[in-house]
Amino acid sequence: MAEMEYNVPSERWPSHPETATHEGKNKFYGFWIFLAGETTLFASLFATYLALKDSVPGDDHLLAADLFALELAFVMTMFLLTSSLTSVFAVHHMRNNNFSKMQLWLGITVLLGLGFLSLEIYEFIEYTHLGHTFRSSAFGSAFYFLLGTHGAHVVFGLIWITMLIIRNAKRGLSVYTAAKVHTAALYWHFIDVVWVFIFTIVYLLGVV
Amino acid sequence: MAEIKQEPMSQKKLEYIRRERTKEMRLQLISFAMMIFLTFIAFGLVALDFDEAFVTPVVLGLAFLQVILQFFYFMHMKDKGHEFIKLMMLVGMFFAISFCVTFVYIVWIGAPI
Repeated sequence: MAEMEYNVPSERWPSHPETATHEGKNKFYGFWIFLAGETTLFASLFATYLALKDSVPGDDHLLAADLFALELAFVMTMFLLTSSLTSVFAVHHMRNNNFSKMQLWLGITVLLGLGFLSLEIYEFIEYTHLGHTFRSSAFGSAFYFLLGTHGAHVVFGLIWITMLIIRNAKRGLSVYTAAKVHTAALYWHFIDVVWVFIFTIVYLLGVV
Repeated sequence: MAEIKQEPMSQKKLEYIRRERTKEMRLQLISFAMMIFLTFIAFGLVALDFDEAFVTPVVLGLAFLQVILQFFYFMHMKDKGHEFIKLMMLVGMFFAISFCVTFVYIVWIGAPI
C-alpha cells in the first residue's frame, strides 16, 4: 500500500509532476549535470575521431568516403528522430495523467530504438566484412569507439525504458514514477542529440 | 514519503492547463517538422555534391540548429526554471567545441604549438 500514497487524483495532478517532489527536483537537476558531463565525454570521442579520420596504414584500407552509405544513415536518423518525438508524446501524456497512453508511446519509442539498433548492428557487420574493424586502423578504432559508445547508450536507454514500462505496469502513474519516466525521456533525447552530430560529422562530412 | 504542495484545481484551471498543453504539443510537432526538414537539407546538400568549402560550414550550422530545437523544445529548456541547466549545458558545449577545435587544429591545420 505504500506505493499508493504517491498517487494523486487528477484534479490534484500537478502541471509538472516530474518536479513536484523534492526527490523529483533533485533527479531533474542531477540528471542534467550528468548530461553536461556526457557532452564532454562524447566531445573527446568526436575530437579523437576528427583527429584520426582516414588514418589508415596502407592503400588497401577503405576510407570514410568509400565506406559510408548516405541512405542507411538517413534511415537511421529518421528512426531515432521519430523515437525522440514519441518520447515527447509519452511525457505529454504523463503530464496529463494519462497512464495507458504514456505506456503506449514509451513502447513505440522502444520499438523505434530497436529498429535503429538493428540497422547499426547490420552496418557494423557490413563494415567488418569489408575489412574495416576496430583493430584494422586508427580510423577504425576511433570510428567504432565513437559509434559504439553511442550504440551502448542506445542499448542502455532501451533497457531502461523497457524496465520502466514493466515496473510501472502495476503501480501506475504517480509523482514518484513520473520523475523516473521524465528522466528516461531526457536521456533518450540526449542520445538523439549525439546522433545529430554523428550523422553530420561522421557520415555527411565523411562523404562530402 | 513524497509530499506535494498541490491544491485541488478548479475546472477552469484544468481546462486552461489542457489548452496550454495542446498549444505546447503543436509547438513540439512544428519543431519536429523543422528537424526533419533540416535533416533533409543536410543530406540533400551532401548528396547533390556541392563544393566542400560551402557544404561543411552549412551542414555543421544545420546540426547546431537542430540540436538547439531538440534542447529547447523536446527537452523543455525553453520553460521556466531551466536557468541553471542552460548554464550547465553551455559549459558542456564550450568544452565540446574546444576539444574538437584543438584536435582539428593540431592534426589537420596548424603546426603543433
